[in-house]
Amino acid sequence: MLTPLLLIPLFGAIAIALYPKPQASRTIATIFSLVTLAWSLYLLSQFDLNIGEIQFTEFHRWIDPLGLNYSLGVDGLSLPLLALNGLLTIIALYTNRKDMERSRLHDSLILLINAGIAGALMSQNLLFFIIFYELELIPFYLLIAIWGGEKRGYASTKFILYTAVSGLLVLAAFLGITFLSHSPSFEFSDIAIDNLDLTSQLILLTALLIGFGIKIPLVPLHTWMPDTYVEASPSTTILLGGIFAKLGTYGLLRFGLQLFPATWHIISPSLAIIGTVSVIYGAMNAIAQRDIKRMVAYSSIGHMGYILVAAAAGTELSVLGAIAQMIAHGLILALLFFLVGIVEQTTGTRDLDVLNGLMNPIRGLPLTSGLLILAGMASAGIPGLVGFAAEFVVFQGSFATFPIPTLLCIFSSGLTAVYFVILINRTCFGKLDNVRAYYTRLTINDQWPALVLTAIVLFLGVQPNWLLRWMEPTTTTLVSELHAPAIVQIAEIDNSYR
Amino acid sequence: MLTTTKLPPSTHRYSEIIHRLEAGGSMLPDTPENLMQIIGIYKAYAVPMDFYWRDLLYIAERVFLDPLPFFKYFLPQEYLDLPNHYAGETADYRVWQKGEASAHPELLEFMDKGELKQKLPKIFHHLWHDRINMEFAEACMRAMLWHQGMGGQFYDYLESEEYIQNSDRAIKAYFKGNPLMLGLYKLFPEMFYEKVRELSYYANLGLFWEVMAPVFFEMSDLYDAGEFKTVPDAMNFLINGIFIAAGRPIYHHVYIGAECYEIIPKSKGFMWLYEAALPYVEAVFYRTAPFRGTKSYNAQAKQVPEEQKDFHYGILYADVFPVGTAGIPPTLLMQDMFHFLPPYLLEYYQKYCRGEDDILIQLGITFQRSMYNVTSAVIQALRVALLYPLDDPNQEHLLKNRQFFEAQLDRFLRPEARLSDIQSQEYR
Repeated sequence: MLTPLLLIPLFGAIAIALYPKPQASRTIATIFSLVTLAWSLYLLSQFDLNIGEIQFTEFHRWIDPLGLNYSLGVDGLSLPLLALNGLLTIIALYTNRKDMERSRLHDSLILLINAGIAGALMSQNLLFFIIFYELELIPFYLLIAIWGGEKRGYASTKFILYTAVSGLLVLAAFLGITFLSHSPSFEFSDIAIDNLDLTSQLILLTALLIGFGIKIPLVPLHTWMPDTYVEASPSTTILLGGIFAKLGTYGLLRFGLQLFPATWHIISPSLAIIGTVSVIYGAMNAIAQRDIKRMVAYSSIGHMGYILVAAAAGTELSVLGAIAQMIAHGLILALLFFLVGIVEQTTGTRDLDVLNGLMNPIRGLPLTSGLLILAGMASAGIPGLVGFAAEFVVFQGSFATFPIPTLLCIFSSGLTAVYFVILINRTCFGKLDNVRAYYTRLTINDQWPALVLTAIVLFLGVQPNWLLRWMEPTTTTLVSELHAPAIVQIAEIDNSYR
Repeated sequence: MLTTTKLPPSTHRYSEIIHRLEAGGSMLPDTPENLMQIIGIYKAYAVPMDFYWRDLLYIAERVFLDPLPFFKYFLPQEYLDLPNHYAGETADYRVWQKGEASAHPELLEFMDKGELKQKLPKIFHHLWHDRINMEFAEACMRAMLWHQGMGGQFYDYLESEEYIQNSDRAIKAYFKGNPLMLGLYKLFPEMFYEKVRELSYYANLGLFWEVMAPVFFEMSDLYDAGEFKTVPDAMNFLINGIFIAAGRPIYHHVYIGAECYEIIPKSKGFMWLYEAALPYVEAVFYRTAPFRGTKSYNAQAKQVPEEQKDFHYGILYADVFPVGTAGIPPTLLMQDMFHFLPPYLLEYYQKYCRGEDDILIQLGITFQRSMYNVTSAVIQALRVALLYPLDDPNQEHLLKNRQFFEAQLDRFLRPEARLSDIQSQEYR
C-alpha cells in the first residue's frame, strides 16, 4: 500500500529525464504528483481511525547484518504529512515558472524531494529513515544553488552544512540508541531503551533534539533558515517551509517523544522554554524585517516554536495540537510563500518600503492582495481559518502543563498580527506608486495554487474535525506511552541513581 | 514652425519645453503617437461633451430651481435637437464641416441602448450608470463656481444689484402659485440667489462646451483625412478655434412657461474667452477640489491649501489612478469617453499595460496629455492676444514672451504636476 508513494515520484523523475521534450516536464511531473496525492488521499480514506498504531505496514529484509530493512508504515502522525507532501509538490510545480531554465532538472528534483520526504515519513527502520532524511538534501541543495537568488551560493552552502550536521547528529543518536540498548536491529519496533541509564538517554535525546532542532529550526540553531528561505526560489521555499521543516518536528515526536518518554518528561520544561524563546524571537525579528519574504521566514520560526511547546507539554490535546499545527503551518506558509513569490515576480521587489497599494483594483494585484490578507489572518490565528483551529488546540492543551510559556505564546500570536498588519498595510494598502505600477496582469491560471490552498485553509478552519480526526488515535497512543511508563521509568531511574 | 530663438537658452527647469513653446510647439512632445492619442481622445471626449453642454443648458434654462430635480439628466428631445451654433447648416460659424447641428449620432445611439446594447426603460439605464455621467460636468461647473475670482467680470456681476433683480423676477415667476417656496424665498433669499448663481455657471459651462464639441469633432475629421501631421498642427487648430469663438456672448436665460427671463442678458457683453474659457481652464485644469477621487485629503494635516488660488488638483496634476486620486474623478469621465473611442485608439490601448482591464487609466493619461495640449493652445492664444509674435525681430519682445512662458510653466514646478511625466511615451 505504501510503496507506490515512494515509487511513483521516482518513476516520474525518471520519466522526465527520459522524455525527449523538455517543455513537457511539468505536465509529466504533475501527472505523477497527482497520482501520488490521490494515492495518499486513498490511504487516508482507508485509514482505520480506531487504531493508534502503525498501519499499512510493509516489511522486506534488505541488508540483514546491518539491521537495515525495507520497512514502511504510517500512523496518524505521518499520514496527514504525506498528504501535505503530495499537495505541496503540485503547488511547487506551479510556482514561479516564468522564464524557467532547465525545467526538466527542476521538476525531477521536486519529484525526488517528494519521494525522499515520503520515504522518511514512512520509514519504520531508523537507518532507512536516515537514508531518506539525508538523500533529500541533495535535490534541495541543487534547487537552491541553481534556481536561487543573488546569494544562492552562500545560502546553499550554509543550508547543506547545517542540515548535514543535523543528519550526522541524528545518525549518531540512532546508532547510539540501537547499540547501547542492544536492540537486535534498527527496526523502530525493536528498539527498547528501558535498559539505558538516564545520562545515556539524556545525551541521546539531546543529540536528537539538536539534530532535529536544526531542521525545524529552533533558536539558536536557525541561522541557516532566513538566508536559505530568502535566496531559494518560491517553489523551493514552499517545500522547505511547508514540508521539509516538518521532518524536524516529526522526528522529535517520533524518535524523541515516542522513544524516550521518561526523559522527554524530564526535559520538557527546557523544551517549552526553547519553544517559547523561538516563538518570541521569530515574531520580534519578523516585525523588524523590511523584506517580506524574510518576514514570512521569521514568522515560520515563531510558529514552529508552538509545535515544540505543545510537544513538550505532552498532553493528549497538546500533542494533537502539535500535529495539527504542523499541517496548518505547512498550508499557511506555503500559501504565504506562494503569494510573496507572485508579488516579487510581478513587482520585482520584496522591499516593504517600496511596495504599496497592491490592492488597487485596476493596476494592482487585487486577488493576490486579498489572498495575502487572508493568509496573514490565518497565520495570526483568526477564527474560522485553520491557523486558529491548530493554535487553539495547542494553547488549550499546553496551558495546564506550562501556563507561563503558553501565555507568552498567546501573547506572541498577537505579535503575529502585528507583523502581518505591517506587511499587509504597507504592501496592499495605500497609494499605488504610478511610476512603478506597470505590473503585468495576473490571471486565475497564475494564482490557482493559492486559491486551492486558501480553500483548504478555509475548509479546515470551519471543519477542523477533518484535520484532527486522523491524528486523534495516534495521539492517544503516543501520550499513553509518554505517561504510563514514564512514571514507572522515572521511579526506576531514580532508584538506580540511589 | 519656427526652429530657432534669438535669445540665449532658458535656465528654467523646463527650459526644453519653453524652447518648444517659443518655437511654436506644445507642452506635449510632437510625436505621431501623441498626435494619434490626443486626436482620438478629443473625439471620444466630444461625444459626451455634446450631451454635457445640452444638459447643462437644459438645467440652467428649464429645470432651474426645481427643488426635486430627479430627472434633470433626462434630456428632452427639444434639447437633443438644439442646434449647435458651430455645426450644421444653421451655424453662426461652421467649425465642424461635416457634422449636423443636432446631437451626435453616436450619442443618440448610446442613449438609446447604452453599454448594455439593450433598450430598457430609461430609469434602469440611469440607475445602472449606463448613461452619460453628468456628474462629471457638474463637478467642473462647481469648480468654476467655487473658485470664482479667476479674472473676468462674470463673477462680479453675479453679486450685482442688477443680477439680484433679474434673479428675483425669475424666482417669483418660477414659484408662482407655490406659497411654500415663495415663503422660503422670503425667509432665505440669499440661498435662492446662490442657487441661481450656480445655475448661471451651468449656463456658462454649457455655452463653453457648445463651442468645444464641434472643434474636437472637426479635429478628428481632419486627422482622419490626413490633414494633421504634428501635435502643433492640432494645437494651432485649437488656437484658431479659441479666436473664432472668443467674442461669443456668455449669458443665462431661463424659460418659464412661454416667457424668457434674462438673468444674464447677452447685452452685458461677457465674452466666451475671458468669462468661460479662461476661468474653465483655471478651475478645471489647474485647481478643482481635493475631494473628488477615492482619496480625501486631510485639511487638518495641511494637505489642503488655505488659499483657493493655491489649489492644484486639476487634470494637469491629477493622479488618474483610482487610489489616491487628486482632482477630476477619472472613472466617470473616462467611462463616458470609453464608449466613444475610435477603433485605432482602442487597438492602441489593448497593446499596452493590461489592455482592456486598465483601459480607463490609460485613457485618463491620454486625456491628461490632450489637456496639456489644450492648455498649450490657451497659453499660445494668450501670448497672441497679450504679447508678441514668436518671430518678432525685437529682442525685448522675445524676452517678454519668454518671461510669460516661464511664468506659465512655473505653475508646473510642483511635484504633483504631470508635465515631466507626459514628456515620456512610457507614461501610460
